[in-house]
Amino acid sequence: MTRNTRRGVMKKAMGAALATVMGVALLSGCSGAAKDDSAATGATGTDGKRVTLKVEVFDRGNSPAPYTITNNWLTQYVQKEFGDPNNIDVEFVPVQRSEETTKLNVLMASASDVPDIVFVYDSSVFFRYAQQGGLTDVGELLNTEGADLKKYLGEDTLKFGQLEGKQFAIPGKRAITGRYASYIRQDWLDKVGMKAPTTTDELYDTLKAFKEKDPAGLGDKNIPMGMALAPAQYETLIYSFIKPIKGDLTYSQRYELPLHDGFKDAMQFMNKLYNEGLISKDFSIDEEKEQLTKDIQNGNVGYWSEDVDNLFYEDGTLDNLTANVPDSKVEPIDAYSNPNEGNKHIKSRYGSNGMYIMIPKSSERADEAVKYLNWMSQGNNIITIYNGVEGENYDMKDGIPVTKPDVSKELQDRVYNGGDMAIISNGKAIGDEATNEAAWVAGFPVNNQEMLKKSLEISNTDTVGPIVFDRPIEAESKYGTALNDKLKVLIVQSAMAPTDQFEAVYDREMQDFMNIGGSELKKELEAALQGQ
Amino acid sequence: MTKAKATYLNGTSEMKRRSSYMKRYWQLYALLTLPIVYFLIFRYGPMYGVQIAFKDFNLFQGINGSEWIGLQAFREVFAMNDFYTTLRNTFMLNILDLIVSFPAPIILAIMLYEIRSKRFKKISQTILYIPHFISWVIIGGIVYQLFGTQSGMVNEVLRTLGFQAIPFLTEKNSWLITYLFAGVWQSAGWGTILYLAALTGVNRELFEAADVDGASRMRKIWHITLPSIRPTIVTLLILNLGNMVSIGFDRPYIIGNTAVREYSDVLSTFVYRIGLESGQYTLATVVGLFQAVVGLVFVLGSNYISKKVTGDGIL
Repeated sequence: MTRNTRRGVMKKAMGAALATVMGVALLSGCSGAAKDDSAATGATGTDGKRVTLKVEVFDRGNSPAPYTITNNWLTQYVQKEFGDPNNIDVEFVPVQRSEETTKLNVLMASASDVPDIVFVYDSSVFFRYAQQGGLTDVGELLNTEGADLKKYLGEDTLKFGQLEGKQFAIPGKRAITGRYASYIRQDWLDKVGMKAPTTTDELYDTLKAFKEKDPAGLGDKNIPMGMALAPAQYETLIYSFIKPIKGDLTYSQRYELPLHDGFKDAMQFMNKLYNEGLISKDFSIDEEKEQLTKDIQNGNVGYWSEDVDNLFYEDGTLDNLTANVPDSKVEPIDAYSNPNEGNKHIKSRYGSNGMYIMIPKSSERADEAVKYLNWMSQGNNIITIYNGVEGENYDMKDGIPVTKPDVSKELQDRVYNGGDMAIISNGKAIGDEATNEAAWVAGFPVNNQEMLKKSLEISNTDTVGPIVFDRPIEAESKYGTALNDKLKVLIVQSAMAPTDQFEAVYDREMQDFMNIGGSELKKELEAALQGQ
Repeated sequence: MTKAKATYLNGTSEMKRRSSYMKRYWQLYALLTLPIVYFLIFRYGPMYGVQIAFKDFNLFQGINGSEWIGLQAFREVFAMNDFYTTLRNTFMLNILDLIVSFPAPIILAIMLYEIRSKRFKKISQTILYIPHFISWVIIGGIVYQLFGTQSGMVNEVLRTLGFQAIPFLTEKNSWLITYLFAGVWQSAGWGTILYLAALTGVNRELFEAADVDGASRMRKIWHITLPSIRPTIVTLLILNLGNMVSIGFDRPYIIGNTAVREYSDVLSTFVYRIGLESGQYTLATVVGLFQAVVGLVFVLGSNYISKKVTGDGIL
């Protein structure tokens, strides 16, 4: 079994384990009320007593020996540079990456175990905690303890964490907003004698040719277009059909995609691809992209979309493909064109904020928490967390940290989870977007940098971004999870329906989507749009 | 002790009798304490949380700090489409499981019982027990590796033999078969233990007598073996019926997937989704409470019917 497969299984295992502790979590919720008062007093560590600051960290199960997720070069660096001078013990609390919200829900229910710094990407989870009164208002603390942090993030980013004028979260800053690019096997194109497709129609013809001519002679294993039930694959397809709500903006949540015009066209196209055998047959069970990655690496896939960076890591998908199929040649392309939006290559981009960093109301270390984030934003700390030590791991060239060639594995491992430790910076946010991109590219294996640059360029073409409303959409926190789940069902059912039943299946699933909260959500979103 | 006896004895001697009884058997009661403590802490203690179903539960205020909302959450749950789908699926999967998985260990036990070679019997029993000790997470991994449409081993064999690939995991009716098959594979062997234990008590003379009468092997199974495990079958059936409305979490969650959500979404996964994933603890508690109440009705109902029909019951 590959490492990827195991991770998928692990995710399910964690789910099972969490379900069993759920009862315990609910029970311990009873003790929540008692602790509330103590939070207001906000004891500080400045009176000479050593205190402990607990910080959440994502665990991806990839810690290289001898490090562990709670004790590695970076945790030691944090302790030495921030903890010791301030008389603080920094303790890291690991949370499985795939259990981001579920584990957080459990942690938040227990006032005593919850870390002082927690975070989540999902805005509706943040709003729910804020509305239920579970978060510390850090507005004043930012002024007293977080001047550098405030400057680093900027007013625009900070706004994402406000509710009714109060700063309940500190949003991370996002370095790069491009998300997806698509790729084609140039060697397959050459064999079928076609040029790289530049529109969706041409793409379809190309896929057809890949299927019929089977340029790699794969027989049953031939997958003209790689698909998985993961955003990088289905969002790219959907965005090439939907009409933005206004200008270059769309609704912000993934499960709001079906509320855009053109969504049905996207489903119809996907249905056609599926029924003609052009996309991965088992995409509906491939939520972690394990199978897709395997298929790409084995050289079975002709065309696919991915997160812009995903192929290019050391010993990653691309390196493996080259090793398995030496004469393969991959080319980044921008094939999808949107017929409902003037045939532009519409694709999604990130908003300018990263995750929501929160300090629970029950935390007695709010001061230290802000101090920690403030420290992170100072001087060279972000670069150190991402890149390691100057002169050993990287050199500065034109203000950009460039990873030294052939750095030993031991030194590389210092910053193996840098991205997860630098919570205030999603990607290397060290300057404007061009600087960030250059810094980011410089961290990849030299052989893959050129292609990554091309992918980035594609990912930044004709992008549409999320609308941000100045107040929470109630229906999002109420129906978000159910709708997110339903979106997947909607996509799978529509894509896999027999051609003549597509209309019926799509209408039924869409009706269901609207019934379980979609229509309320739509009404509220439209009202909010009017109010802007 | 009967009533007549109790009135016959006067107060003091009654007390004396009791204390000497306790003196004599206190070890047994001491042994009983541990399970009782377990039940109090882990089974009755958590019932305190049932009130969440009637409150607008706020994670940060705790149970006592949350407001009472009466039956509002129940109304909300009963208006959800998903609730009925998951309820239907729970019954459907459980009933199919009962039809398919319940007879499997009986048949298997009888087959094992009929085996003459002791050594072969021991070995096959051991092999049959093993799946019981494998967690569903691992079984899920195996099932997905074996039964994938494009890359699964089973389908690759089918294709080389010239058959069409069967979407074992992504087409809902084929998925049902996969689900049931995985269940039988995992539990049938282990399930034979109780039946085999019951069979050890059968008097061998019955078989000898049947031999003398010239009964065939099938006749002997029908008239001797099966009747002797009837009480065991009935007891297990009642227990199973009581569990009709509750369903394990791991099996449907792990074997299920988005493509077959229409069948694989059951009450336990539903509770997980709305409770842990979306943090709507009140609604999740309502569903859990509903499940418990219906489960109780089922146990009492099937016990009542069984008593009427067979004269055997468990309560």
